[in-house]
Parts: sequence; structure tokens; C-alpha cells
Amino acid sequence: MDVSRRAFIKRASAVSLAGAATPFVLNLASIGEAAAATATDYKALVCVFLYGGNDYANTLVPYDNGQYATYAAQRGALAYPQSALAGTVLAPSTPLPGGAQYALAPELGKLLPIFNAGKMAVMLNVGALVQPTTKAQYQANSVRLPPKLLSHNDQQSFWQASSPEGAASGWGGRIGDLLQSGNGTASLTCINPSGNAVFLTGRSAFQYSVTPSGPIALNARNSLQGSTAAGTLLQSLIGGGGPHQFQNLLGLTGTRALILYNQVAQALSQAPATSTAFAAAADPQSSLGAQLQMVAKLMSVSSQLGAKRQVFFVSAGRFDTHSGLATLHPTLLTNLADALRSFYDTTVELGISSQVTTFTASDFGRALTANLDGSDHGWGSMHFALGGAVNGRRYFGINPVLANGGPDDIGQGRLVPTMAVDQYAATLASWFGVAASDLPTVVPNIGNYSGSPLGTNIGFV
Amino acid sequence: MTEFAPLHPGPDSRSCPDPVQADEIAPSLPPTESSMAAQVGVTSVGSLALAACGGGGGSPTQSPPTAPPVVAPQGITPTQASRFLSQAAIGYSKADVLNLSDSGINRWLDGQFTVLRTQKFWDFLVANGYDAATNINTVNGFDPMVWSQLMGSGDLLRQRVGFALLDQWVVAVDGFGGSWRPFAMAAYLDVLWDNAFGNYRDLMEGVSTNAAMGLYLTFLGNTKSNPATGSIPDENYARELMQLFTIGLVMLNMDGTPVMSGGVPVPSYSQADVSQAARVWTGYTHATSDNSTPARMRQPMAVVESRHETGATTFLGIAIPAGADTATARKQALDGLFAHQNVPPFVSRQLIQHLVTSNPSPGYVGRVAAVFANNGGGVRGDMKAVIRAILTDTEARDDSQANSTTFGKVREPVVRLVQWAKAFEVTSPTQAWPFGNTTSTANRLGQSPGRAPSVFNWFRPGYAPAGLASSDMVGPEFQIINEPSVVAYVNYMQGVIANGAGEAKPNYAALIEIAPDSQKLLDELNLVLAANQIGAGTIAQMKTALDTIAATTAAGASSRIYAAILLVMASPEYLVLR
Repeated sequence: MDVSRRAFIKRASAVSLAGAATPFVLNLASIGEAAAATATDYKALVCVFLYGGNDYANTLVPYDNGQYATYAAQRGALAYPQSALAGTVLAPSTPLPGGAQYALAPELGKLLPIFNAGKMAVMLNVGALVQPTTKAQYQANSVRLPPKLLSHNDQQSFWQASSPEGAASGWGGRIGDLLQSGNGTASLTCINPSGNAVFLTGRSAFQYSVTPSGPIALNARNSLQGSTAAGTLLQSLIGGGGPHQFQNLLGLTGTRALILYNQVAQALSQAPATSTAFAAAADPQSSLGAQLQMVAKLMSVSSQLGAKRQVFFVSAGRFDTHSGLATLHPTLLTNLADALRSFYDTTVELGISSQVTTFTASDFGRALTANLDGSDHGWGSMHFALGGAVNGRRYFGINPVLANGGPDDIGQGRLVPTMAVDQYAATLASWFGVAASDLPTVVPNIGNYSGSPLGTNIGFV
Repeated sequence: MTEFAPLHPGPDSRSCPDPVQADEIAPSLPPTESSMAAQVGVTSVGSLALAACGGGGGSPTQSPPTAPPVVAPQGITPTQASRFLSQAAIGYSKADVLNLSDSGINRWLDGQFTVLRTQKFWDFLVANGYDAATNINTVNGFDPMVWSQLMGSGDLLRQRVGFALLDQWVVAVDGFGGSWRPFAMAAYLDVLWDNAFGNYRDLMEGVSTNAAMGLYLTFLGNTKSNPATGSIPDENYARELMQLFTIGLVMLNMDGTPVMSGGVPVPSYSQADVSQAARVWTGYTHATSDNSTPARMRQPMAVVESRHETGATTFLGIAIPAGADTATARKQALDGLFAHQNVPPFVSRQLIQHLVTSNPSPGYVGRVAAVFANNGGGVRGDMKAVIRAILTDTEARDDSQANSTTFGKVREPVVRLVQWAKAFEVTSPTQAWPFGNTTSTANRLGQSPGRAPSVFNWFRPGYAPAGLASSDMVGPEFQIINEPSVVAYVNYMQGVIANGAGEAKPNYAALIEIAPDSQKLLDELNLVLAANQIGAGTIAQMKTALDTIAATTAAGASSRIYAAILLVMASPEYLVLR
């Protein structure tokens, strides 16, 4: 423990606030000493959440003549010309049945080398489910379904937490619950540089937020208006809590902010310089690249932070492309590809690419059938996992029949998922080190898939 | 923390001998079954309520607990006045506290309801030259406009209710493209603010024909189905109008609790309803193609009937016949939604959450919803009656709530800043109001008016933060509270308290006079900013700290004042309004 931190704790402990045991004092014990563990078998999961519901059909674009004809007919002006896709056609090690082919949207071209190198896999028709569900079962309402389908906030929550808005914990946090004890500083297990997300909240693990440029120092940490006493009191108030449940929670957050600042900032100051460039954001409203750059930086000092298992959450917004899809969505994809590619390259540069698995997630897929200039809310979607440990250059899952009112959609090409988020999550969790017997604590419904075609481990990592 | 027990005593549990207070409270309905149930087990709260009689919030300068309040016949104590204003006003000064203390709540509300708007959002932009052609593709003027309105207007209640409506009916300046966006926002915000004391149905109409909403939720330009191409109407506005603005996702009882069937909540609509309702919102476009001036942004959207869906449309039992034109379809759709059983509890609960408490009892929601459904004169959606019902309800006015561990809400960061500005009479001589965009969680508030990240706002009414002892509580504002934002808020306020923002400066003259007496200074701040909810123990610690800052010089007095305000505004007892 460095001197300033010790001094701060001493000062803070000397001030006892009205009300009994404050979280500020209580939490000192649980946060523990600065870490000394060595992260020889470090692993990290990185969830890249695309807020708004990413449009699957203009992300993984049908390319073979049969599928393309359907796509073009349903999409009208939104469709990429088939010729524009020739440069990004995926050539998987195992082709899809029936000659089906897909291309990445041209704006995702930066990811193609990762796919071709066998470090990126494509998930077909993954989405929120409670149990395996067919279209007929959906229509007959004869199986349990995720509540509030097609609602943004609820399906964001269901993807992240297996429960709609109001969920108490997410599966990233629940993974953290199981593995945080192996970290020198348990508080640094679940880290979010993009705000708050239920994904990273565990039953005991909490998420620690930083900005894309790192943690924030309290300006008055040494003194306020020249007064050490006032500065000390200010910190005690920020970390102090109180008898009201909201006060208590404010205090817990403030305590983490103040105490972890020194440790994290000091570690980050020792981060090795990397040469991989992160492009300026193609979407000026997105900080995704900066968030991933901070994630890479934190990973590069995992030894200093004593971290052996970390779960990160980053995000980009504006994917709710009801309108203006043809102009906005390509920008969002460029932004995504730039950030993912630079991040992947950085992990290669740091020599940790096989220890980091990155995966995409989103509220839901969208309809295949266009409205005038956009697409509306759907259900199943296409997603990517990438990293050195990924069993790449492959598709996983079952290729849906793309149609308006076909066997795999509930109308307008809103897909009934054939791969559950739970299966996606369980596969990632298993790679991360969660024992099979512990999977139900991470994804409670995973048992519903033990007899399904894809099973409980899809095998993409 | 103990297990969650409802801490909302009903009317009968009030034991303070306070006839004045009773007079102040609007007649409330008989307790419902659920509010009766909520009274079970409130014995300990009852004793707390006794201790809190007289409105003392724990400050040593308050009257002894057993003394009757010394107030005018219609009045309330200054502590009660400050607490009320923290719920009802966007911000307020000491003078506002004293005026309310004299007049009493109902008279204050009567007065606020009749205050005319001194300047509309739109007029601010014009008056300050933002309609110059060079601004056509910028957001120049947007932030000054909103800060001017929130900080610089005297209509304290309208500003607060308008801001609460914006928390529900979200449009954000970064969320749509095109020309004259600040003017589009101005016209939209004027719809909310103009209708804050009107009827909810008129608000629905105003928003549904507003260009900014048309752009934001993408029904400006929306077109009927095209059988040739298979294209279908954009469902965006149809869905969010139902989910966020009127009825919500599940059927509600009048007290805001979900209607259950087979152990699960009953959905209020299906995807088929959304697809059908989307047909209503087709055919809209700008009032004119002339965008050389911002004028079209405040004209109702025009319709192109040839692009409007004219086939028969049915959703939620609302049947719009084939051939209905756009205006007819809109009227039937909005009338139908407005009549839906969910609207009173859905809207009432959210307004209560924004103004008073994150976790209102079902009884409280039910009492307000009943007024929403019928103001007593047969009118549904009378916002004045709803606002009065929210702010005068026994659950809101019960002073013993200051001791609750569950009642109340975290003050929104923007409201904290505006409260500071109003308390210390911040002015901006050239109308620059240079507080700018306060979204950053690194060095600002993590929230900025009119800049929400999506139509789901900065925080959701159903957000349940991790770490609450009571698993059935929500804490909406916690969605924007995290390690960076907690510290950034304090850092930002430290600078603003001392320096203001550019030309926008506070007036601490009244505080400078009392600064040499740190107890007096703290008592004043505790009353004006925190409704005397900061306890004596914390105040004593603050006094000890402040006494290390000598106030014998002008600079020293200022230093002490700056530190005092920041300590108060950083304290959990201030941040959680009970």
C-alpha cells in the first residue's frame, strides 16, 4: 500500500460519521491490500454491446444467389449490391449446407483477416430464449418465452441478465462471482469503461466503472480550500453512506471510487507503450475505440492489479436504425470494425490474444423486411466472437431460412433464435474457467438446452 | 440493513398535533386495501414521526421537538417549505422558502399555476440571434437556452414539472439530424412546458405532431406499406408511444401494480398491435420544404395523404375504419390510448418518481391515479390536479419520511446544479448561460438537459441498482451513478461553486455576512439546500472542518463559503431527498 493511500485510509477512519458502521469503513477490509499476485494464466472476456438492436441482414449479408435474391427483395433500397460484397465474402473452413454463403458488410472488412486467420467465428441466429423454441411453439404460446420481446430496455437486460428490466445481476457479474476470489483485488474483476450495465453486476461481485481515459481523481483529495480537515471530511462524506438504502449505496460507490483510484491510476501509469493505432471514431458520438483502448491498457497491467480473471463491458449506441439505415448503419459498422481490429491487434502486440475473448451482443436483431428507409425490431441475430482462443473461420449455429413469414421468422424476417444467449454465454464461461456444475449459477436456464442440437457448449472457443 | 418493510404510513398514522398541516393537505381518498396493508408494522415509524413533529430535521437551531410550529395560520415551517420546494421546484432561494412558509402549499400552488411563462425556449433563441443563417447546421444556442430556462425563470413549478416530463417524453438534440436542431428542440420543449399545467391528452397531441419528435422517433417521412416492394410502416413511434409515453408494457391496476395471470404480468399489447398502430403514424412530413429559416420546426407536421395508410387498422381494440385520413386516424388512436386503463397509474407513478420518491406505495399511486382519471369535475388528465395530488399527498408531506431508510429519491445531477444556481441567484448578464454540455462523467455531471443517450432517458423508472438491501426497491437515478460520475460531480461543483461558469456568477452576499459564524452558515445552507435533512452529527463535523478556514478576511469568508456549500452538496444526507 502506498503512503498516500495509507494516509488517506487513516484520515478517513479517524472520522466517524453519524450512523453506525459506514460502508466506507466496512469496505476497506473487503477491498484488501494492493495486489501482488502474478497473472500467469490471465484470461479476459470482453462484451461489446451494440445498443439499439443491430441489423443482422446488413451486418452478415446473404451472398449466394438464392439467399441474396430474398435479401434484395425484402430490403429494397437498403440492400448492398451483390457486387459490393465480393471482397468480403466469408470462406469458412466448413461451408454451410446448401451452398449458403454470407459476406461481411463491406464496412466490416477490417475483420476479414481475423476471420481468415481462424481467430473469429460467426454465430448464426442467436437470441434471447428461455428454452428451445420453434416458430410453431411461439405462435401457440406453448413454451416459456422471454418477457417483453422486442422491447429495447427489456431485451438489453435479458441478453445481459436472463431477465427483463429490473434484473438484479447479469451473467458477466455472475461469472465474476465465481472467479473473483482468484484475483488479488476482487474489486477489479468486473470493469466497465462505458457506464453502468447489469451484465457486470454479480450477486456479490460489483462492477467498477472507469471512463475511457481511466479513473477520476478527486480534486480536493488533499485539501479543500486549503483545509486538510475539509478535504478529509469531503472524502468521508463521499464514501460515507448513511442509514438510508440509497445513502448506503452512494457510499459504497464513493468508497470504491476513492480507494481504487490510487491503485488503478498508479498501475495504468506503468502501462507499456503499444504501437497499434486506434483510428479516430468513425461515429463521432461513439467512444467504443477509446473504451477498448482502455480495456487493453488495463489488461496490460493485469499483473500490477493482481488480476487473473477479468470481465469487461464496452458499448456503442445508435443501432436502432428505424430510419436512415443506409447512411447511418455503415458508419456504425466502420466504427465497430475499426475498434475491434485495433483492439485485437493490441492484444496480439501484448502477447495476450489467446487469453482474451471478445464477443458482440445487442438488444435483438431486426426485421429483414424494410420499412421505407430502415428496419424495425426483431429477435434473433448474427454475432461474432474473436480472439486467439476462438475456433475461428467457422460458422456456429443453424442457418435460418431468410424470408418474410418463412419457417424461421415470426413475420418480416424477425428470426426465432435457434441458439440461445444462454448457450453463447455458457460456452464463453466454460472457456473462462467456470466448471460445468457451476454453469446454472451463471445462466440459470442452461439445463433446458442439454438435449438440444447445439448442446450446452457450442464449441466456438 | 434490515429487510424491506414498507415505511409509508397512511393518513391515520399521523400523530402530530398539527391542524394547520392537515388543512394544507388536499382531501384524499379513503385508504385502499393496499395502503392499509402498508400500515402494518409501522410502529417504529410512528415514534420517529413523533420525534419529527415541528418539522425539525435535526438541526440544533430548530424548535424543540414538542413545541408547536410557529407559523402563520396558512403557513408551514421553513423546514417543511424547503422540503416541499425540493420536490416541487426546479430550484429555489431563501426568499422562496420564506414566501411559501407564509402562504402555505395550496396557495403557493395556486400562484404557480397562474404564472405565465416569461420566455419560451423558442423566443430565447430568436432573442439571442441564434436564428442567423450561419447557425442552420449547428447546435449553437441549445445549451444556453435550456440553462436559461431552468436557472433563469421564476416559474419554479413549471420548470420542475417540465423537466420531469422531459425525463419521460425524451427527445435529445444529438438524436436526430437535419437543420435548425436547437429550434426543433425549442419547439418540442415548449410543447412540454406549455402543457405541463394543461391536459395530458393535449400533450399527447402536441408531441405527436411535433417535428422534433417526428425526426427523433422517425415517423416524419414514414410511409404506408408498399405491396410491390413489401416495405412496411416504421414501427418506432407507434411502439414507444405505447411503451414509454402512455400505457407501458403490462396491464396495470389503478395502484400501478401489474395485473397478473398465471403468475406472470399480462402484456398490454402484442407485436401485432405495434404493426397495426404503426399504420397510424404514416404520411407525416415537414410543414414546408423551406428550411431557410427555422419556422417549420414549430409548425405542426404536415401530412401527405397519399403516403398515409388508409386500410382499416385495429389495435388494442381501437378500430380505425378504412379510408380515415391522417388527422382522423391520429385522433382515434390518441383518444383510444388516452382512455386506456393504464394511463392514470402509468403516468402518475412516473411523475411521483421524478418529483417525490422512487418507490411510492401502491396507495400513493392509486390516490394520484384516481385524480388523473377524474379531477373531481369529470376531467381526465388534468395536470394541475395531478400535480397537486402528488405534492399534497400524505405520503409526500409526512415529515417523518426524513427518517425513512427507503422513502425518497436521489436528486438528479442536473437538478442539483440548478438548485445551487437558484439558491444563490445565478444570473447571466448577456444570456450566455455558459454551463454547456454537462454530459461528461469525467469532469461534468453525467447528465445534461435535452441530451439523453436514447429515448430510454438517462435512467429508467424500473432501474434496480445492485447493492440495495431491499430487492424489491428501484433506484432510477443510480443508472447514471458510478465511480467516475460520483467524483466528477464533486469536482465540477467545486469549480462552479467558487467560480460560476464564465459570466454566470452566484451571489453569496447573504452568506458573506454570516460566514464568520460557521454554525449559522451551515444552518442556512442546511435549510436552503437540504431542507434541514443533514443531521446534527454531520453538521458538527462540517463545523469543525470549516473552523479551520479563517473567515476573518473577505477571501477567507469566501473560502469558507465555497467549502461549506460543497460539503453540503456532497453529503449523502443532501443527495438523498427524503
